[in-house]
Order: sequence, then structure tokens, then C-alpha cells
Amino acid sequence: MNTLEVSNLKKTFRLSKKQQKIEKTNIKLKVAVNDLSFTAYPGEIFGLLGPNGAGKTTCLRAISTLIKPDEGDIIVGGSSVKNDSISVRGKIGFLTSELKLEDHFTPNYLYTYFSRLHGIEEEIIEERKIVFFEKFGIEEFKEVKVGDLSTGMKQKVSIAISLVHNPDFIIFDEPTNGLDVLTARSVMDYLIELKESGKTVILSTHILSVVDKLCDRVGIIINGKMKICDTLENVLKTSPNNDLEEIFFDLVKEEELSGGVN
Amino acid sequence: MKNVLTIFKKEFYRVMSDRRLVFTAILLPGLAIYVMYTFIGSAIGNEYEDITEHTMIIYTENMPAEIENFLDTQEINPEFYDYNSSNHEELEAQILAGEVDMLIIFSETFEDDVDNLIVSDILIYYNPGKKYSEYTFSVIANALHSYANVIGLDRYGDSYYAFTLDSEVIMDEEKAAGQGFAMLLPMLIIMFLFSGAMSIGPDSIAGEKERGTIATLLITPVKRSEIAIGKVLSLSVISMFSATSSFIGIMLSLPNLTSGSGGTLDVFIYGISDYIYLFAVLLATVLVIVGLISVISAYAKTIKEASMLILPFYFISMALGISTMFSGEASNDLWIYFTPIYSSVNMIIAILTFDISITAFIITISTSLVYVTIFIYILNKLFQSERIMFQK
Repeated sequence: MNTLEVSNLKKTFRLSKKQQKIEKTNIKLKVAVNDLSFTAYPGEIFGLLGPNGAGKTTCLRAISTLIKPDEGDIIVGGSSVKNDSISVRGKIGFLTSELKLEDHFTPNYLYTYFSRLHGIEEEIIEERKIVFFEKFGIEEFKEVKVGDLSTGMKQKVSIAISLVHNPDFIIFDEPTNGLDVLTARSVMDYLIELKESGKTVILSTHILSVVDKLCDRVGIIINGKMKICDTLENVLKTSPNNDLEEIFFDLVKEEELSGGVN
Repeated sequence: MKNVLTIFKKEFYRVMSDRRLVFTAILLPGLAIYVMYTFIGSAIGNEYEDITEHTMIIYTENMPAEIENFLDTQEINPEFYDYNSSNHEELEAQILAGEVDMLIIFSETFEDDVDNLIVSDILIYYNPGKKYSEYTFSVIANALHSYANVIGLDRYGDSYYAFTLDSEVIMDEEKAAGQGFAMLLPMLIIMFLFSGAMSIGPDSIAGEKERGTIATLLITPVKRSEIAIGKVLSLSVISMFSATSSFIGIMLSLPNLTSGSGGTLDVFIYGISDYIYLFAVLLATVLVIVGLISVISAYAKTIKEASMLILPFYFISMALGISTMFSGEASNDLWIYFTPIYSSVNMIIAILTFDISITAFIITISTSLVYVTIFIYILNKLFQSERIMFQK
């Protein structure tokens, strides 16, 4: 029941003239993900890998219900993103660089605000807030406006806010992007904590060393299609040198030769 | 409902906790109107005083003493100088430059002509391009007409007049006073309601899209309709604050504005019930305006685009306000009260002129609520549209 199951997901976007110009193409429809399937289980970190534009973010946006699948479905803890999106949104904690916090507000205000929108009782809000703010070192900055915080602190506040409702499913898109080594490390440590507490974690990244360190299972998406999806151990076995980077490059090269990668 | 309240509070707090925004969106409109109108009123008053207290420099030729005496009885302040025909061109240049206000030339035989019933000609030189000269002309011409009437009456007695005209004024003084407000206020009120909503609406929705904060809200388990209602309600309340500030500014400054030109407008002619009616109409109107601005802001990609798209509607609403400015009377056609904003303009006039129809009032309020419901429905659909919410 606590699995996150992506089944035959297909999502197509209509390209605006501006986007056609940027991508130097005359094609009006772009298939972002095609027939994508994978399952993430509780107590594991599922790494979603792929080059830029491979379809990782589209997949995560579909899981978070920001966009609707054209075909296929995503079942999050028994709820379908197609038929029960509100329930799905209550079960997931989603973090992506696309989601911003309003500069005018303080971490303290935003934490309470988003907690209330998740229907959490005031007492629990305060309890959780103390724990999170202590853990991420936000306490000192809780009354500083988000616009005045450093990039690292903003990211920590975003993580805290994405988890206000203690979700069972955590979806983080490039969570260490733009962070210094220390902050990145604390984020990675926290992901391990979440996994150990039995949460289902999906991590999208293009930093292969992060995948090596954190992920239990890996899915590599190239050109909107799942090229490989298995435990990290099994994936590494497909390379003579047990090198994820080598595997990744081989898959990209293979797709290029078949004319798939732009 | 709880989520609506949470979103309402947050949107409200966003504006109210920003001192600069509170000042520019709420306090400044009222303050600016008060200062502006009071300044204009004072400027008009000073100008009026300046003209009436000006010493008229009048050159005369052959002016009979009797006329000079007659002019002395009028409330004017002339100084007469003798005309010398050899300096005529120089005098014309002085009138053109505004140094001399008027030249009056009577014929040498003016008094004899009057006595012998011969029509005599008075020649006046003046410059309508100069305020003192124009005022001097209007005052002297009026005085001379009065003097002509005095002569006519001396000559012919009462038979000089073909008829006399008496009038009995039958009017509701309060209604007549209200008409003064009814001509000025509707356009200003609609303008201020619109500009108040414009100053915060695009930032609250298009701004959130532009800054990428809307997605953070959209992934919470809150219905899109609750987000729409919460935003529209909070924007409406803030816009009402802005409009109230403007309204107070107008009401306090109108007496200052009109007193400058000798007029009087008394803001205390209205009772509590009139203000309650007015408040209800303003609230209904602001909901419609905020609903419209919210829909446009949700559709637009950026604050700038939203502001551009809202402008035509702003001009249309101003035109609707102006269209009733000259009549100062509310329409009796009931269908008018089904038209958004135009219904409010007419209802405001009806309230201000003590001519309110309860049927029209109910139609105005009900239809405004229907319009805002439609706007919230559209806003809800726009929030659900990934193409609209995340278009690049």
C-alpha cells in the first residue's frame, strides 16, 4: 500500500513558437515521457537519473499532481493522481527548484501557513516546527524574511516546509543543487534518515556520486523512456568496472546511435 | 472554509505587513486625493480672489460723469485714465500685453444722444486672452447693460419692459445637493476601486506565477476553488480599504474643492442608511472588479502582462463612470442594473440623490454576486490548467 507506482506514464507538451525556436525544431508536440513505469518502495531511496531534458522533472511533476498524465497512471499509497489528486497531495512531500517560497514571509510564518493548509493541528505544528528548525539550523533565522536568507538556508526552509505534514512519500528534485558541501551533506544525511524511518523517497539528480552514496534502486531515463530500472547493485553489475558513470554514458551513447537523443 | 480563511489571512497579511504597500495602496490614495483636491480648491479660490480684487486699469474717452458715478456704485475696483488718440497704437499694445485692461470710447455727444433718444455707440477694446481684461469686460459690459436699463426705465416707466419674469423654486434641497455629489463621485469611486484592486491583484496571482511561488501552493491538498475564493476575498477587502481611503479623501476634500469657486457641498446630508447602501454597493462592485482582475492575472504570465491586459477594462469602467457624469440622475431602466459596473455607477447615483429603488438595489447586489461567482469559477479552472499555470 505504501508504494509509489508509476505505470505506463505518457506526457506530451505542445511547444510554443518561442520554445520551438529555442529547441530549433518545427515539431509542435514534444513527448516528454513515454510509457514510463517504475515502483518505489517504503524504506528505500529510488534514484531517478537522466540527462537534462530526459523527462525526470516531467515525471516528478506528474507525481506531484502539478500536471496530468496523458496516458497511464501514478498510484501513490493507493491514491491515483488522476482521480484523487487532493489525497495524493496530502501524502507527498515535494521539493524542486521550481517551487519557490515567497520572499516577503519568514520561515516561521510559512511553516505555520503550509501546515495549516495540510490541516495539521496547531499543537503538532509547533512541536514539529521546533524539531525541524533545530535539525536544519533554521531556529536562528526563523524571523528573517526568506528574501534575506542565503541560498542554503532557503533550501533548508524549503525542505522543512515540504515535510510539514510528515508525508510517507518524499520526492526531491535535485535537492543539493547550488548548495555548499556542508549543506549538501546535511541534506543527504537527512534523506538517509527519512529512508530509515520507513519513508518512500524518490530522488532525481544528475550527480552520479549522490546516487552511488544514497540510492537503493535506480532508474535511468533517457529521452523520456526508462532505459534501466533495478537495484543499484544489479545496475552496477552491468558494467565491468562497476562504474555508474560508465553505464550512464553507454546508455546515452546507445540512444544517440539509435537517433533518440537530441 | 478553513483553507479559504488560511489563504485569506495570508494574502491579507502579505499586504498589511508591508508598510510601503499599506502606504502606497491604502493610505496614499486618500491622502493624495485630499491634498490634490484641497490644493485645486485653494488654487481656484486664490485665482477667483485675485481676479475680483484686481484694480481694473481702464482708459476712457468722453466718459460721462453719470456713468462713472454709476460704475462706482458697483462692486468693482476700477481706475480710470484719460485716453489720448495719439497714443492709440501704444495703448492697443498695452492691452495686448495685459498692462491695460480696457479702453472705452464714448462719442462726444453721448449724453445729448441719450437725451435726444439717438442711439449712441460705445466702443470697447479688450483682450479676452488676458484674465483681468476679460473679467473687466464682463463686469463693465454688465454694468453698462444695467445702466441702459435704468435709462430705459426713466424714459418709459414700466412700459419699458415687455414682461417681467418671476420664478418659484420647488426643489428638494437635499436632492439638489446630492446631485452635486452624484455628478462627481461615481466615476471617481469606480476609478479608485479599480486602481486599488489593480495595485495588488496582479502581484497576488500573476506575481506568484512569475516568482514560481504558486506551484508551492498548488501542491498542497487544498482545492483550487478554495485558493480562488481565498485570494478574491482578501484582495476585495484590501481593495475596499483602498477605496474607503479614497472615498474619505473625496468626501473631506470636496467642500474645499467647491468652496474655492463659491459653491457649497455638504457631506453631512446623508444618513446612516445611505452609507450602508453605499457600502453594500461598493463591496459588490469591488468583488466584481477583483474577480475580473484575478481572472486576468491568472491568465497572464507576468505582472506586466496582467497590468497591460487589465488597462482596457479600466478605461471601459472609467467611460461608464463618465457617461453618467453630466446627467447626475440614475437610470430607471431595470436592465441597466443587470450590467456589471454600470449597474453600480447608476446605483451610486441613486443613493447619492436619495432616489434609491429597492428592486434595482437587489438586482445590482445579486447580479454582482453572480458575476463574481462566475469569475471565481473561471479562476478555479485557470488554476487547474497546467498550460495556464506553468506556461513559459
